[in-house]
This record gives sequence, structure tokens and C-alpha cells, in this order.
Amino acid sequence: MGVNVRRAAPRSSLAAVLAAALAAIAGVATACSGGSAPVDLVSVSNGGCGSSWHLAGPGWHTFQVHNAAAENAEVDLVNPANGAVYAEVEALGPGTTSPMRLNVGSGSYAFRCLFEDFDPLTGPTVVVGGRVRGSPAILPVTSNDLLAPAREYHDWVAAGLSTLVRQTAAVAADVRGGNLGAARTGWLTAHLTYERLGAAYDAFGDFDQKIDGRADGLAGGVDSARWTGFYRLEYGLWHGQGARQLTPVANTLAADARGLRAAWPTMQIDLIDMGLRTHEILENALQFQLTGHDDYGSGSTLATIGANILGTRELLAVLRPLLVPRYTGLPAVYTWLDRLQTLIEATRGPNGAWLSVSVLDLSRRQQIDAACGQALEVLAPIAVITEPRRT
Amino acid sequence: MPDQADPVQAESVRRRAFLRGALGAGAAGAVAGAAAGFAYQATRPAPASLQALENTEAGLLPPVPFHGRYQAGILPRSQRQTAVIAFNATADGRAELTGLFRTITDRARFLTAGGTPPPAGIGAPPSDSGVLGPAVVPDGLTVTAGVGSTLFDERYGLAPRRPARLTPMRAFPDDDLDPAQVGGDLVLQLSAGNADAVLHALRDIARHTRGGMQALWRIDGFTSPARPAGTVPRNMLGFMDGIANPDTGDRAQMNRLVWIQPGTAGEPAWTAGGSYLVVRLIRMLVEFWDRVDITEQENMIGRRRAAGYPLDSTSIGATPDYAADPSGAVIPLTSHIRLANPRTPQSADSRILRRGYNYDRGLDQVGDLDIGLIFTCFQQDIKRQFEAVQTRLAGEPLTDYISPFGGGYFLALPGVVDGSDYLARALLT
Repeated sequence: MGVNVRRAAPRSSLAAVLAAALAAIAGVATACSGGSAPVDLVSVSNGGCGSSWHLAGPGWHTFQVHNAAAENAEVDLVNPANGAVYAEVEALGPGTTSPMRLNVGSGSYAFRCLFEDFDPLTGPTVVVGGRVRGSPAILPVTSNDLLAPAREYHDWVAAGLSTLVRQTAAVAADVRGGNLGAARTGWLTAHLTYERLGAAYDAFGDFDQKIDGRADGLAGGVDSARWTGFYRLEYGLWHGQGARQLTPVANTLAADARGLRAAWPTMQIDLIDMGLRTHEILENALQFQLTGHDDYGSGSTLATIGANILGTRELLAVLRPLLVPRYTGLPAVYTWLDRLQTLIEATRGPNGAWLSVSVLDLSRRQQIDAACGQALEVLAPIAVITEPRRT
Repeated sequence: MPDQADPVQAESVRRRAFLRGALGAGAAGAVAGAAAGFAYQATRPAPASLQALENTEAGLLPPVPFHGRYQAGILPRSQRQTAVIAFNATADGRAELTGLFRTITDRARFLTAGGTPPPAGIGAPPSDSGVLGPAVVPDGLTVTAGVGSTLFDERYGLAPRRPARLTPMRAFPDDDLDPAQVGGDLVLQLSAGNADAVLHALRDIARHTRGGMQALWRIDGFTSPARPAGTVPRNMLGFMDGIANPDTGDRAQMNRLVWIQPGTAGEPAWTAGGSYLVVRLIRMLVEFWDRVDITEQENMIGRRRAAGYPLDSTSIGATPDYAADPSGAVIPLTSHIRLANPRTPQSADSRILRRGYNYDRGLDQVGDLDIGLIFTCFQQDIKRQFEAVQTRLAGEPLTDYISPFGGGYFLALPGVVDGSDYLARALLT
């Protein structure tokens, strides 16, 4: 169930991405239909960071930021009083120019240049007087800021993995003993435990494919002998496969869970992933669970979404101190996660049994789709806000 | 489809439905159905100027002013590209529903005017998909919003404000409706010069309204260039479609035929400036059609296929003279244009403002093309107008070559008059 690996490297490697950015330059300079947005050229080098820039006044501005240095640069327009960032240009290659557009309001503005292997440079400050509202500035989040949340999260995952080991061992024992009814019940419990840990997919490395891989992409699909993990076991338990056939599958799952727990203390969480996962877990839930794609027979994808919501909430909890001062949309995140969770819970049948997505009526389905989609929209900014930045 | 025709007759006379239709026309309640989608009516075509054509190709159609008493997408001629999307409201209560209409309005206001989307800074992903480049070009975009009868159920307390003539879409005898492609609490029609502008608008609006509404069905359409130039765009049957319509420049006529008149018709006051919108999704069985003799095709429609002339005339815009042809010797009594608009005083107030678009959705199960017509029309009264036309078309020979499968009845909302107004304000306040 791995989250797709995506997004280029974190900030330290200011690689690529240039071509696309460059293509836009001419267009932006001329196409601003916001009226007479002034265009200003700002040159940066490791000798000076916008040393001769000026601001005519408040309103929309497009700065053409030119890198006159021999190294890649990141250029931010900041409030020099507290380092809050109004706008940024990333990965600006030597000799290249990229637009930076913003609505300038009352306040203090200075360019800050970050060249690889050099200390940050901050240029002269320009103060815009009066009381005009402009684009807001946001305090950048640093790697340092993310260390404590990541540690907290790492510990939480470790605890979850111990539970996972216990639960997968119980499932394996049930399968070996031929208690397939108990195995089906235990399977769901253990799978939801794993799905709650969603934020750590990439950090689980190859273990995720072993423990929660889909049959997609395997030659032979569900008949592939290489297919292992929860979904493989689900397929067997709900498609009439016997204890004998499933014993090695269940044993392998339990062994992989133990392997992961053993490896976890030395596995690191990439700091950039902390924010990315806050929406990626539910992106996957939308793509694979809400569609029913990952239903290999148990009809429990709605339960999986419930677990994914809990995993998302844990990430939000550890990031909360960073988010509260930076993200005005945070209350809406909780509003929509609450609504989604309530709607998911309400689908359960008598005795708390989970229903397959496919049997929900259209109205209920659309309510859930709407809440999931809206939750994702309000979650998405968190990844941008909590991307670790140099300051 | 060909079925119970007398085999002897079928052998001896021109075949299939054309004839059967003619014979069966007297049978009460016979196959109704065909779309009114072929209601050729008066007035001459207005060929696009060369400049407009170039602008269309360059994606540079000028903005269509969004504010006005009526929604801007109702009266203009069909644009080159369109999408019709029906939604169900998922807003939780009246306040959220109002928020939904405000958001749709805000997005439509921006998208139709164009401009540079605000930069997101380090606080969010880009605010725009970028599909139209760094600055959003209007490309003639119009956003037309309507509401369906289901919005007036118990969820939002709107039952007392239900428009008098808004019902679920009727199934006509020859329809083959797919429930998944019928109805909806809301409908949006997005039209522009190019498909990228339409899709950009749809993505933008959907992104901003995910919690408030969910798409139910969607269809994309296009208007062909007039071929040859200076004539009228053709449908997938090869015939010019929408040769004429009521004169949209004639205000009195629009007030009689298109705009709802709440003062006189028992309609709630909030409907002033609105118009009923009928959408019919009509598959055309073009493979079958292409196996039909040209004379039979032209008799079914009532016009020449190549030139668009009525069969009794030598110009596109000519008014057919049915009085001179009472037995249908020239223009058959069962031809589409004759049934749809008999040009009698009694039929005058059933005229509709129709806007057709072609659609192309790939293939069906037997490898035939799934193409056809998105029939849309605006009117003051669906029963008096669309349904009357549709009823007159019952049993027309054309029904064998088309299959209506979806659509809905909606009320296109009153226009948004200024920057503080929003769609459905009069309904919701």
C-alpha cells in the first residue's frame, strides 16, 4: 500500500526543475493582467543579495530575480525582523532569471539569498509605510523545528509495530490451527494497525511492499507466488483458500512484521515526509480504498480509511505546534476530518460490521467523496508549510 | 428499430422507420421521443468573422461580461467547446449551500474575466492548475448554472420556493435513460473557445467546491466549424443543426419564449431573470444512419443534407411553405422540421431557444461509435415548449436512428448583477 515516492529531493539538492521555471519567465512578465504590475530586476550573487533594489509602493509586483553567481541559489523575500517569507524562488541556476510575484503590503522587505555552501546573505531592507494588506509572510520551518515531531512520531510508530507483531503472530497461529474464522477477524485488526502507521511508508523501505503490497504489477496478478502480505492473505481468506495453503503466507507476514520492528530503530523518517504524508495518506485512501480498488475480498476498505484518518491525525498532532502559528486553515482540517470520520463510521452495519464501498447508496457515497476531497484540499498546504527550509 | 413492420410493405416501399413512422403517426402515444434537437427555425446564420476564427484558434476570445440580469451563457450562439456537468449537493445545511453558490460565483467571476492567479508563496500549492499558462485567459468562457427539482427536497428547506414548472425529467416513450446520467441537484454548463479553457474552469470550480457538491454525470461537447464556411455547423448526422432559433435580439420575443415571468405565471419571485434549461443526451446511431439512402435521410429531416435548404426551397434561411404542401409531397408530414415547428400560430409559443453540441465518447460494446448530440434548450415553460415539441415529434421516423440516454430539467438561475451578488441569492435569502 506504499505511497508513491514522489517529489524531488529536499532542499539541500537544488537540482533540476529549472527548465520549466525558465519557460515561464517571459510570459509572466508581460501577462500580468492585474493592471500595471511593475516589473523589477533583482540581481543576486554571493557578493550581494538584491543590493540595489527598490519598491515603488504597495500593490502587485513581479521581480525578475537573476542569479549572477556561479552556484545555484534560493532567493526568498523576507521580513528581516523575523525571517518570515513572503515569496521564494527555488533552485535558481547560475545565469538564470525567474519571476517572483507578490502583492506588496505595508511592512519590511529584504531579499535573502541562500547559495550552496555559503552562509545566507540578506540584502538591504525596504520599508513600505501605511496600512495596506499584502501577501502574507510565513515563518519558514527548519529541519531543526521538525526533529522533535519526527522523534515523537518515530516512537509512536515503534509502539504500533509492537502491536503489529503481536497481532500478525496471532493471525498466523489461527491460520496454522485451521481457525480461519478467527483468522479473518484477526486479519482485519492487524491490517488496521498497519494502516494507522501510514505516514511511514517510505521509511519502511522494502518492508511495505512485503507487508502491504498489491497484486498490481505482478506477473500473474493475484496468482503470483511473489505476492505476500496482508492483501495476499486477505485474498486467500476470502476466496476459499485453505489453512494449508495460507499457512506460509501468514507466517511470512508475521515474520516480515518482526523484521520491520527489528529494523525500525535504525530507520529514519525523512523530515520532508512528515508534512507530505499529512495529505498523501488520504490521497492513497481516495485512490485505492474509497474506489474499492484494494478490496481483495474482505470489503473492509472503509475501515482502512478510518485507520488512515487516525494515522493522519497522529501526524497532525506532532506537527501541531508548527502549524498553529502558520496555518489559518488548520481548524478546517479538523472539521473535515471529523466529518469524514463520522460518515465512515456511520456506514457500519448492525454489529459494527463493515460494508463494502460498492453497496453504499449514491447519496452516502457522494457525502463521503465530498468530505474526503475537501479534507485533502485543506490538508494540502501543510506539506508546503512544513517543508524544511534553510534560514 | 425495425421491428413490426408489415413484411410485404417493407419489401415494396421505401424501408424502415421512415415509412413506418409515417404510417404510425396516427397511433396515439406512438414512439415519441426524438430529441427536439433538430428544431430548425427562422433567421439566418451568422458566420464567424475571420478575426473571431483566428481568436478562437489562438484561445484569445474576449471575455464575456459575467455580471448582468441574465446569465451570460444563455443567449449567445453555441461556442466551440462545452462541458455539461450535473452535481448533487453535499453541503450540510442551508448556510453551506449558500457558501457553495458564493464560491461558484467567485470562481466564475474570476475565470470569465481572466487574470493572473494569486501566488501561493510558501503557504500552499499553486492556486491554479496552470493549464492555461501563467495568466488565465478568458477565451470567451461562460459559466451557466442551474438547479434541478431535487434541490427543493427537505434537505435545505427550499420546498416552499420550488419553481412552479420544475419537475424531474420525463421519460419519453422512445428514451433509453441511464439513471446514472439523469438529473442532478445542480448543473453547470461551461463553454469557451477551446477545450483547455473549459477543462481548466471545471478543475478550478471542482477544486473549490469539493465539500459542497459532487459530480453526478458529465459530458463534453463541441460545435463544428460551419462547412462550407458561411453556412451552419453540422451535427453527426451530417445535417446542419440549429439553422435558426428565435431572434435573441428581440427582447419581446425573449420575454415570451425564454425568460421566466414570475409576475404572471405563478412562479416564485426569485425566478425573475431565470430560464428553464432542458438537457438531453442523445446518442446517434450513425453506422445505421450511414447505411440509409440520401433521399430517405433528407425526407426524415426535411432539408437537403448538402446545402441545408428546406426541401421546398433554395436557401438555408427560407421559411418552408407548408400551406402550399398540405399532403407533404415535398416536405413529408413526418419530417423532423415539420413536426418540430409546423409554423402555425398555435405552435408559435412552443418555440424554444436551442443550443446543440456534438459529443464523442468513444465506442460502444460492439465497436460502433458512441457519438451524438448534447441537446440543450432554454425556455419559459418546459411543458408548453420542450415537451410540446417532443410530443409532436412522437413517432417521427428519425427515432430509429437516435437514442436519448440522459439529461435533466433545470432552472438556469437569474444572473449575478454585480460584485456583491451571487448565484441563487434570491432563492436562498
